Amino acid sequence: MKQFMMIFIGEDYADLGLSPEEMQNRMGKWFAWSQKMDAAGIKHEGEALTSKIRRISGVERTAKDIASTELKEIVGGYYTVTAKDFDAVEEIAKDFPDYDLGSYVEIREVMVFDH
Amino acid sequence: METKLIDHLFRNHSGKMVSVLTRIFGLSNLEIIEDAVQDTFLKASISWRKEQPKNPEAWLTKAAKNRVLDIFRKLKSEQKHIPEIIADFESIATDELFLEAEIEDAQLRMIFTACHPKLDAKDQIVFALKTIAGFSTKEIASALLTKEETIKKRLLRAKKTIKTTNLEFKIPQGKELPKRIGSVLNVIYLIFNEGFHSNKKEILVQKELCGEAIRLCKMLLKNKHTQIPESYALFALMCFHSARLDAKINTENELLDLKNQDRNKWSFPLIQLGNMMMNKAVETSQFSRYHYEAAIVAEHIKAPNFEQTDWNKILNYYKCLHKIQPSTSYLLTMAVVCLQSENYIKANYYFEQINPDDLAQRSYLFYGAKADYFAKTNNKKGALKFIDIALEKVSNNLEKKFLERKKIYFLKNL
Repeated sequence: MKQFMMIFIGEDYADLGLSPEEMQNRMGKWFAWSQKMDAAGIKHEGEALTSKIRRISGVERTAKDIASTELKEIVGGYYTVTAKDFDAVEEIAKDFPDYDLGSYVEIREVMVFDH
Repeated sequence: METKLIDHLFRNHSGKMVSVLTRIFGLSNLEIIEDAVQDTFLKASISWRKEQPKNPEAWLTKAAKNRVLDIFRKLKSEQKHIPEIIADFESIATDELFLEAEIEDAQLRMIFTACHPKLDAKDQIVFALKTIAGFSTKEIASALLTKEETIKKRLLRAKKTIKTTNLEFKIPQGKELPKRIGSVLNVIYLIFNEGFHSNKKEILVQKELCGEAIRLCKMLLKNKHTQIPESYALFALMCFHSARLDAKINTENELLDLKNQDRNKWSFPLIQLGNMMMNKAVETSQFSRYHYEAAIVAEHIKAPNFEQTDWNKILNYYKCLHKIQPSTSYLLTMAVVCLQSENYIKANYYFEQINPDDLAQRSYLFYGAKADYFAKTNNKKGALKFIDIALEKVSNNLEKKFLERKKIYFLKNL
């Protein structure tokens, strides 16, 4: 078994102008996905990120605040899961609720260093 | 652990929060309040993904309140002009204002604000759906078959009117109340009708809108100033209509007229509720349009089957309605009622008075009815001509199929 990270990328929720009804439905889908993983014994942990972005770059360490509205693709959060391989994680990621909003999931394997 | 969230909790809560916070911070801060409430739902929808709080409503209320206070603090620290609210605004936001009765009071204030005569009639319904019912502009646009841009413009215009005319956030008192409650009932009925006669291509009934109208009317019935016979009559009317919602369409998603509806599908609890409300509504000598409309639907429901409908009674009620508020759709209905009771001369008398253009998007109803008239008076050519015009004018696909079936019947049987 290996560790994988599912990274959720897309437009920020706040910029999509979702109605209260849509937000509640969406939350229900996330909740269902999480429960499905629990039921299947897939251990998953993760965080959701707020939309404030500060980017620091260059040798001058220039800091710049970027409004989420300027970007169509921001990292909204991630889950780490334990699974056999990429294909297994792909199967899990099929239940990600926000494909219809143009968001996508990027699967990455967590690197293990031998000591 | 799983907590099942109430359907529409966010949406209904949105109206509650916006109303209560407006009562505290004033109508002039409506924009800030709406943003704060929206932020609260966003936060909830993400942080509840893993686990939902024991008391979701209390969580939302508290979060929205804190959010507004945060915004005010931020404005204060930035030395921005803060609207004239008491310096110590945090003490006003006491929990007392968040008690159930107070929330309802705040929502009633919001309904009266939305239906203020200073607001344009078209803006009223949009503002009510947004602020009290918690629909987004996109949802309103799709419910009212209007472009989202137009909805946004109407909202802006409504808010501007509220600001420039310094509308007070209150339930009108004394002589002002009966005048104003009429427009509130009218907006509620408009919302219901939008749902009941959906013009959407594929959906015949938008239960969401019907449910919302019933919820708003229920609020009027709970308050002693607004529980007048007219409110009861409107509530009864909506109950009777809703009782037949599930019978309007058969299993093939085909539209059924009253004649062919399966009466077993009607919801009897709703009919009973309607009857109860009707008993309260008739404790007056002054009947409103809602009284007559409810009486008509009740008459349909009372008949054990379509053939035994008391058309004369129904025609009389329509005459009363037409007297109160002359309208083309009443004339059309009276013509149809006369067709039912085979009084073709009288039916024609009503048809003659109708200008189909007055019916706008629903003019196909006139052409369809007139086709029926020709069919019943053995004029095949007229029947086919008019059914074709009806088919040309209709936009809803289910209604269209209904007319097509009628045309096939004419071709075969006339």
